[in-house]
Amino acid sequence: MAGLLLSRTEKVYIVNGIEEDFRSDGRSNYDYRPIELETNVVSHASGSARLRLANTDILVGIKTEVDIPKPETPGLGKIEFFVDCSANATPEFEGRGGEQLANRISNILQRAYHASQAFNLKQLCIFEGKQCWKLYVDILILECGGNLCDAVSLAVKAALFTTRIPFVKAALMDGGDVDLQLSDDPFDSKPLVVGTAPLLVTLCKIGNKFVVDPSAEEEFCSIVSVVIGVSGNPAHYTTEKIENVESKFTTIGMSGVGGLVPDTLKSAISQGIVAAKCLDSALGRSLLRERQDICSYKKDSYGFLK
Amino acid sequence: MPFDYRRFNGPEDSVSYKRFSEDFLRTYDELYKDLLDENGKRKDGRALNEARSLCTSISRTNIVSQAKGSAYVELNKTKVICSVFDPREITGHQNEYSWFGQIYCEVKFAPFSCPRKRRQLVPDSDEKALSADLKKALETVVRRDKFPNFQMDIFVYILEHDGGCLSAAINAAGLALADAVVPMYDIVSASSVAIINDQIIIDPTEAEEHLALMYTDKEKNHGLVTMCFMHHLKQFTDFRQIGSVDAECVLKVMDILEKECDKLMLVIKKIMVSNVVRQHNEHKVLLEEAKFREEVLQSKVEEWRKLLNAG
Amino acid sequence: MPGPDLLSSQGLRLDGRRPNELRRIRCKLGVFTQPDGSAYLEQGNTKVLAAVYGPHQAAKSKMSTEGVVVNCQYSMATFSTGERKNRPRGDRKSQEMSLHLRQALSSAIKTELYPRSQIDIYIEVLQADGAAFCASVNAATLALIDAGVPLRAYACACTSSVAWRGSQPEPLLDVGHVEEAAGGVCLTVAALPSTGSIALLEMSHRLHMDYFEVVISRAMQGCRDIEVILDKAVREHLAEGWTKQDIVTI
Repeated sequence: MAGLLLSRTEKVYIVNGIEEDFRSDGRSNYDYRPIELETNVVSHASGSARLRLANTDILVGIKTEVDIPKPETPGLGKIEFFVDCSANATPEFEGRGGEQLANRISNILQRAYHASQAFNLKQLCIFEGKQCWKLYVDILILECGGNLCDAVSLAVKAALFTTRIPFVKAALMDGGDVDLQLSDDPFDSKPLVVGTAPLLVTLCKIGNKFVVDPSAEEEFCSIVSVVIGVSGNPAHYTTEKIENVESKFTTIGMSGVGGLVPDTLKSAISQGIVAAKCLDSALGRSLLRERQDICSYKKDSYGFLK
Repeated sequence: MPFDYRRFNGPEDSVSYKRFSEDFLRTYDELYKDLLDENGKRKDGRALNEARSLCTSISRTNIVSQAKGSAYVELNKTKVICSVFDPREITGHQNEYSWFGQIYCEVKFAPFSCPRKRRQLVPDSDEKALSADLKKALETVVRRDKFPNFQMDIFVYILEHDGGCLSAAINAAGLALADAVVPMYDIVSASSVAIINDQIIIDPTEAEEHLALMYTDKEKNHGLVTMCFMHHLKQFTDFRQIGSVDAECVLKVMDILEKECDKLMLVIKKIMVSNVVRQHNEHKVLLEEAKFREEVLQSKVEEWRKLLNAG
Repeated sequence: MPGPDLLSSQGLRLDGRRPNELRRIRCKLGVFTQPDGSAYLEQGNTKVLAAVYGPHQAAKSKMSTEGVVVNCQYSMATFSTGERKNRPRGDRKSQEMSLHLRQALSSAIKTELYPRSQIDIYIEVLQADGAAFCASVNAATLALIDAGVPLRAYACACTSSVAWRGSQPEPLLDVGHVEEAAGGVCLTVAALPSTGSIALLEMSHRLHMDYFEVVISRAMQGCRDIEVILDKAVREHLAEGWTKQDIVTI
């Protein structure tokens, strides 16, 4: 990250602290840093969220466009992830410098959202084989303070939660083409069903232990990390009573230079699924509270002015 | 959008004629019914837990003569060729000195390799992702401290894709690296598994992979797992899963893949040994030929000398 | 000329402002911790983030012994406009904007103080609703102040356009997106109001020489107004003294 310099002794301090389950900022190995989340911050987007996880700052905007479905999947919509590493985060990202990192993150997201149990693309269908919605999920990384994957996935899910898809009022068939008429009223729309959308959890191996939510300094000390995507539980994202859905892995991947013994990997992913479940329920609760506040006009918009 | 102008390209909205064939539009259920025959065998006659064997006679190293090391791997219809080039110094003044050697990987599909579509010549996101995965798998194995500030290029060309191309690419790259006498910590082997409707299918074909990732309403496990393993150190160097699989199944798959990789290891070792033997034999033949030529030359020289002496 | 529509019969503009009224400007200094200076500025619905790194040693190819090299990058978030943008930066428009920014800000920075050095200024437009360039200049000024870079004066930018009341020209201050799209004159001025000098002037469309004077004086008035607002924000920020973030980093 940006000019991060760490001496050998500092590294030893971090590694030994983690061995004792006591990290340099006072957390245990299973703790996340405080997260701030605000939704509906960009008015040009159909849904948006800004998430700040300690120093990591993410802004997600979602735009919807009408598109033609793929021939092999006529009944499904499309979703596309685009990550932009802003040079605000570090001068290294100037020009095309951030592209590699951006590709890595968008690849992981694309894989995590691929499974049908993770995100239902059927809700984006307008006219089977003719028209569908395409969601552009644009992720802007404004500051890097470690643990980008987790922060990005939380922000994406929050933004998808606030996204509303306009209803189609009428459709005219003109020859083979479909001419859609959308309703102009922004409230005449349906929210997306995103309860099962996956969250990513990065488990960073430092010394012999795994930690969640590594800071930039801790990432620097680690040689290998495991990123897992765990599908969410829709029961957390609605006020109605519905059945709990068991969480499943939607993606597992390793990054960094290093190998893992099978047993270590097994313990890592079982530690990760616990963390993902906790995150999921916390995110659901706060999103529902925010929606409640918006409905009763209690919400103040802060944006970046806080 | 980068575009290949040197070729004749069809109109932008043209689609493959296969799109209109019946096969193309078959639903998940129809495809699933066809997956196994009445004896529980797969289409190509394998059992669910039977991998395609890496044919030792066909899979071999030292294929590309220009490269330092190369390998060709064939798993029935999946055909992969890999070449490794000598390390070269990293140039460009803005780059800092790197204490570890860099590995550059590039995976490329041949335009005709995929059964469903024609591959474009410009690398697409699939190929970029595969290259990144291959790099991740190999970086751990290669002793990069042996060539600081040098970069090694590894190119993988997929001639035909019938499932398991990442694992085939890793296996080929491992063989090619060994052929190029690059120092490594261990031998790598990779294997993949598809999970369709809770059934675990080892070493899937392209059709089976497609089915595993197809869109379905079923709540059962579906997915694709590829794993790369170091045999003696007993470590994963890479583990990738996509789809939707519960924790229990992931753990089960891990054990299965570990066993598969161990089996593969024997084959890989055999290829390596046979390769060394063959090279040794070739070397011997060359030496003998050289000796023979020398003798012939020597006798000629003698003859001439005699003639000269005779005046 | 698309005149009368821009002003109602009561003399109010499309968004209800008077002709000489700015949109609401809200700003904050020091929004991020990693850059040396950062600022966020909202001008109506146009929202801009600016970050400043430096001064630090310049890259060899750019280095100048005369003074500091100002390196600007202007990029727009893909969701910032009504239509989705495919690329956040690198297109012609952003490159032109980067050049203009550099020109406007170089004149404000005391460049001679840091020879062989470089200052990086990165602008991220989060939401564009007209006059994104002006908001960028204003935000960059704040970020430079936050970074502690010595400036000659505040660099402020403002746009103005012209509407017609009968045959009488009525200059409009701080043009919004709707007014911009209506296709009238759009004059962009980046100025150092306290010294009374202009750093950058750009105009699109056709305007008669006779009316130029009124339009530019309205734009300069806007720059002076903005300077007052920026100055107030800076004073407030400094009055807070050590902010919480500073204490944490120490």
